[in-house]
Amino acid sequence: MAPDAEPKVLQSAKPVELLQSQPSFFFANLQPILLLGTLLFSFKSLVADPVHTLLGLAPTVAIVQAIYCVVCLPSTGDVAAPTPKPGQKKKAVKPGQDIWAKVIPAFLSFTLTIVLSAPLLYIIVILFGAPLTTHHPHTLLFALHLALLTTPHLYYVHGLDASTWLRLASLQQPIDESYGMSLGACVGAWVGAIPIPLDWDREWQKWPVTVVVGMYVGAVVGKLAGGYLFKGWKIKLA
Amino acid sequence: MDDGELQAESGNGSSASDRELNPEVASKQREVQFKAAHGLLVAFFTFVLLLHIGGISLFLSGFLLTRRVLDEKSKCSESPLYVEPSAIGEHAAGRGTYEDGCWHEKSFDKAVIIVIDALRYDFAAPYPPSSASVSLRRPRHYHNLIPVLYETAAQQSGNALLLPFIADPPTTTLQRLKGLTTGTLPTFVEGGSNFAGAEILEDNLVGQLKTAGKKVVHLGDDTWTSLFPGHFHPNLSHAYDSFNVWDLHTVDNGVTEHLFPLLRFQETVSGTEADWDVIIAHYLGVDHAGHRYGPDHLAMSDKLAQMDEVVRQAISSLPNDTLLVVMGDHGMDPKGDHGGESDLEVESTLFLYSAQTHFGTPDTTLIAPPATARERDSTGRERSVPQIDIVPTLSLLLGLPIPYSNLGKPIPQAFLGRKTGKPDWKNLAEVDRITAAQVHRYHVAYSNAPSSVTKLSESVQEDHKTDDEVVPPTGDALDTLWRKALQRWKAAEKHPNQDKWREVAETFDDYLSENLAVNQRQWASFNLPLMYSGIFVLVGSVLVSALYARGAHGNASGIAPPLLLRGLLGSLSGSALSFLISGLSPLSFLFTCVFLAVSGGIVGITSGLASLSSKIPLPASFWGWICFLSVLLPCISFASNSFTIWEDEILLFSLVTSGVLLLASSLRQRDPQDRAIGTLNSVVFLVLTRTASLSRLCREEQMPYCRSTYYASATSSTSSSWQLAIPWLATVLLPSVIRYFYARTKNYNGSAIIWIGFAFRIDLFLIAMYWLSDAADDGDWLTGKSLYGTINVGKDTLKTMRITIAQVVLSVAFAAGYATFLYASPFISVRTEDPAPELTGSIGFDGQTSTATTTTDIDVNTAFTTITPKPKPAAKPKQKLIILGYANTLGTHYFLLPTLWFLALVLLQKPMGQGTLSLLLTQILCLLEILDANSPSPDHTTHSDEEISPITDLRNSAVGPTLLALLALFHFFKTGHQATLSSIQWEAAFVPLRTIRYPWSPLLVILNTFAPQILCAIAVPALALWKRHPRLSQMGLLSDIARDMATHMLVYAAVAVATVIEAAWLRRHLMLYRVFMPRMLMGVVMLGVVEVVGIAVALMGVRTSIGSVKVVFGW
Repeated sequence: MAPDAEPKVLQSAKPVELLQSQPSFFFANLQPILLLGTLLFSFKSLVADPVHTLLGLAPTVAIVQAIYCVVCLPSTGDVAAPTPKPGQKKKAVKPGQDIWAKVIPAFLSFTLTIVLSAPLLYIIVILFGAPLTTHHPHTLLFALHLALLTTPHLYYVHGLDASTWLRLASLQQPIDESYGMSLGACVGAWVGAIPIPLDWDREWQKWPVTVVVGMYVGAVVGKLAGGYLFKGWKIKLA
Repeated sequence: MDDGELQAESGNGSSASDRELNPEVASKQREVQFKAAHGLLVAFFTFVLLLHIGGISLFLSGFLLTRRVLDEKSKCSESPLYVEPSAIGEHAAGRGTYEDGCWHEKSFDKAVIIVIDALRYDFAAPYPPSSASVSLRRPRHYHNLIPVLYETAAQQSGNALLLPFIADPPTTTLQRLKGLTTGTLPTFVEGGSNFAGAEILEDNLVGQLKTAGKKVVHLGDDTWTSLFPGHFHPNLSHAYDSFNVWDLHTVDNGVTEHLFPLLRFQETVSGTEADWDVIIAHYLGVDHAGHRYGPDHLAMSDKLAQMDEVVRQAISSLPNDTLLVVMGDHGMDPKGDHGGESDLEVESTLFLYSAQTHFGTPDTTLIAPPATARERDSTGRERSVPQIDIVPTLSLLLGLPIPYSNLGKPIPQAFLGRKTGKPDWKNLAEVDRITAAQVHRYHVAYSNAPSSVTKLSESVQEDHKTDDEVVPPTGDALDTLWRKALQRWKAAEKHPNQDKWREVAETFDDYLSENLAVNQRQWASFNLPLMYSGIFVLVGSVLVSALYARGAHGNASGIAPPLLLRGLLGSLSGSALSFLISGLSPLSFLFTCVFLAVSGGIVGITSGLASLSSKIPLPASFWGWICFLSVLLPCISFASNSFTIWEDEILLFSLVTSGVLLLASSLRQRDPQDRAIGTLNSVVFLVLTRTASLSRLCREEQMPYCRSTYYASATSSTSSSWQLAIPWLATVLLPSVIRYFYARTKNYNGSAIIWIGFAFRIDLFLIAMYWLSDAADDGDWLTGKSLYGTINVGKDTLKTMRITIAQVVLSVAFAAGYATFLYASPFISVRTEDPAPELTGSIGFDGQTSTATTTTDIDVNTAFTTITPKPKPAAKPKQKLIILGYANTLGTHYFLLPTLWFLALVLLQKPMGQGTLSLLLTQILCLLEILDANSPSPDHTTHSDEEISPITDLRNSAVGPTLLALLALFHFFKTGHQATLSSIQWEAAFVPLRTIRYPWSPLLVILNTFAPQILCAIAVPALALWKRHPRLSQMGLLSDIARDMATHMLVYAAVAVATVIEAAWLRRHLMLYRVFMPRMLMGVVMLGVVEVVGIAVALMGVRTSIGSVKVVFGW
């Protein structure tokens, strides 16, 4: 990577704005409610049978995330557009093309999430001390959920641009709603691991209930914080 | 720009002017200056170490105290029933002669006491425990192998008695013997000091035997002779060394050899040499088999079968008037160790046998002995008896007075069935009353005793007045019980019948049980003023360390001398003050003096720091917060027993978190090489951390969520065969790994090749040989049948061979290693080449194509002229001199020191531990590279381009020293240790030695236990030296090293202080002795070890390394 290319990359790092449309705002606010609602609704069965519950929840979460991507977020190509002006856009592209221009990136995003992010996150979760020899379905499904909450919208918005992903991985990307959601999910899962060793003898302390709960709560908190409070912030690692 | 670098530049500036005057004199001056500064720095660190030791000893003297020792002895003629004659009634008083029995009619003239060390109850009980659970599991190697106890007790219930025998922790032999002879609760002070015993001063059974004029013969474990010097028959007694856990047979064979002649010839040779009254025979083989192999091993089967034979013989040759006692002093945990208070460790065995019918049962429905240690009778009481119950039981059966401070109660079965075997409740009521009366007398004496009576330690004497727990543990409930028992006794005397007597016996029994329970709860007599003063100065010294390490401005080594001076002055005035006010202090003079000296030192240093306008060391940066939190959070979490129990997993979590953040930080680096090196090493670091975490040794509390992998199985302390491959793997891989890190900066030259390529590898090979032969010995691979009959490569031959190998390894490590370290010149090589700017660099990421733009780009000619005293101008101006390995001259030279200590440390680890220590060494190297990649290069000033200059400076943050400390803690658990006493690997003392030798044996155990801490402490200076410019000012480097070392020690000090405070705070917690106190002891010992090693090894090594580099490159 040539040194002189870097400044440009840095300049292009901007927080991603939501699409300025009525459905977009509506669903962007509905999504946290949907996520937390699903979690709350299935908490009992999550404690009783984590594997099947997580398996059953995965499509629901995927659909919620997919709708969020398609309805609320600009897809890869749109990022460059300086200020979204709905009126102009509609003139430029026909509605049919518009839909496909959104659905295909969304589809690709979810493919990448499942084949790339989930295995990678599985490895990372193992590194953090998840059981290596037992509980494979638990950990895999947790990694899948983590992937669903952290990466599809990032793929959708940023594509596969190497320098952007380097910024995302090294926490240099300015915080926005989607990046905040991803970070929030990770931090939430991290925090969720803390109660596991306590000797409270609660059923919900079992793997991976606490981290799943932490992850969902963290994702929602991160999304809200990233979208409003910390928008445009850059994490300093110095 | 940090202080160190500023110093470096100012140093260079001044040196430039000096050189103009007289280069050699100036250089000499700077060398002397450096050595003086270094000496003063070492003195300062030693002073801080003394402050810590002062604080810790204050605290521990207050915390580990338990109870006062009364030196009254029970006398045969003074029955406790006379204490309150009016209350108790006179006519039933004791007889007062040894012939008939002192306080109660005696039942036996003689006794044979066979102690089988670590005889756990499930060894003696039949397996499976009931016919219903036949399908439970197949029997282990320790089941059903000593059936004589259960069989005899079940078949001849009038002659024999088998009961679970519950030990009071700590379950170390020394402590148990004290409990088994004095009948009182143990003090924890000696819990860890299994190595040396001291004479028992308190009234005890053996002392009573001696007073009664009985001839006591002792055979076996020499702990007895150190506890009771001069008590045993000098000609007939034979003591054997007790700590050689590798030797399963010497003690046992010796005991058997002497025991049976005594038993058989006793009648015929009466009156001559073979005359004895009591034989104490202490077998150690079972215990040693447990320590060495774990209970589930064939060696244990052999040992138990041998013990079975011993007991059978003893029963068959037992004279009529003699009582046979077979007992264990404690149990063992699943892998054969003991010391703690887990169920398996405290569940021992008691077996009594008499040739005459003697034993009865309180519950006629329960004739058979308990099938498990925790079996309950029909009333729901546990059938087990506490170990101290043996004391009044034996005393009364042999007609001796009960030892004065006894808290045990007579075992009912031993008094119920006298002669007839039918329940004789009156007899039991009488002995219970006598015992209770003695306990009561003891309490009265205890609460009335002037504090000067205390014998535990002189210093305690005055301190008891202020103790919060000094009130004798006679609560209202206890008093009520006592009165109730006395009333019932009177009632029963008026209308005697068996039911009444039974009622009386049960009431006295309740009183004694309640009394014991009260004591067990309350008798840890903490000395609060001492504890608080210890905590006070510890907190103070830690704050001072924090100020020095992270808050002080200026050169950290430069400010050490004034701080030291002020500290010393403070200490001196503090100790002077103690002469003046010692009368006012609640502490004894010695402790007042220590307290004031330490406080004075702290105040002195603080004043020095204040005058230097230090800032409060609150974290100011992201990494500062990470370090702060990664130390603070564990410190807080030690207040929770769950977090303490799961510390190993939590450390993994926190290390991986740090590793991921380091990865993110490395990915941010704008310099592509830094980014690549940092990223690669971070990933390796993460993977190695998780790999190391696979080595686990679970503590009991982690069950069932943990599976031990450190040994072959959870019930073993030997390595499985696949683990034996680990040392060989290390032999092959580890030297190459180190070589890779050295070669990357072209430092794999000269002595580095000889040391790492040859000596290091050969030593690792020898270590692998050692552990292979150890496994061969354990597994009896070399014993078997051949054409020439049984071949048996003697265990002795193998042992001699192993010890020789171990000693060779150690001598290579220390003699050859230190010789290399002290005399090796820096690992650089010089080449002349045509000037080609691309090749002048000395480091490059791939090590082959060095690119000038990104690496250390030095003016070689200048460097060269300063090297040689007679400067040769470069012969041809066209040629350039290239110094290979210039950039990491300091780091690679210093890193020899960790590698040579590594060899000694690794020798003492089990194969699995060797693997994790090898991972640790690699992780340290990764960490050094990560930190360098995340720090400004020494030549970054040459690149004015802002975009290229690094954005982080981790080398000058607390990240390195903090992560090293966390790594060390993590690997402590990964080398088969836990924060419990029973996980100490005592057998490490016998790796290079055949017998216990002071001071080496304890030292070897410390090297084994704290190997990761020692390795990391030695590696700390490498943080400041790795890839540092060799021409940086030595003072600047020393300052960086001092700061890193102080930070590293600060982490340990913070953990020690946190655990100390939490242990004091939770001193009434149920888990104190099980969880908090062992963690606290581990914390303070660790602090001491790290500070001593950090000063004596690491800081001293810095002097050598900087010296050897500066000799070449100029001071």
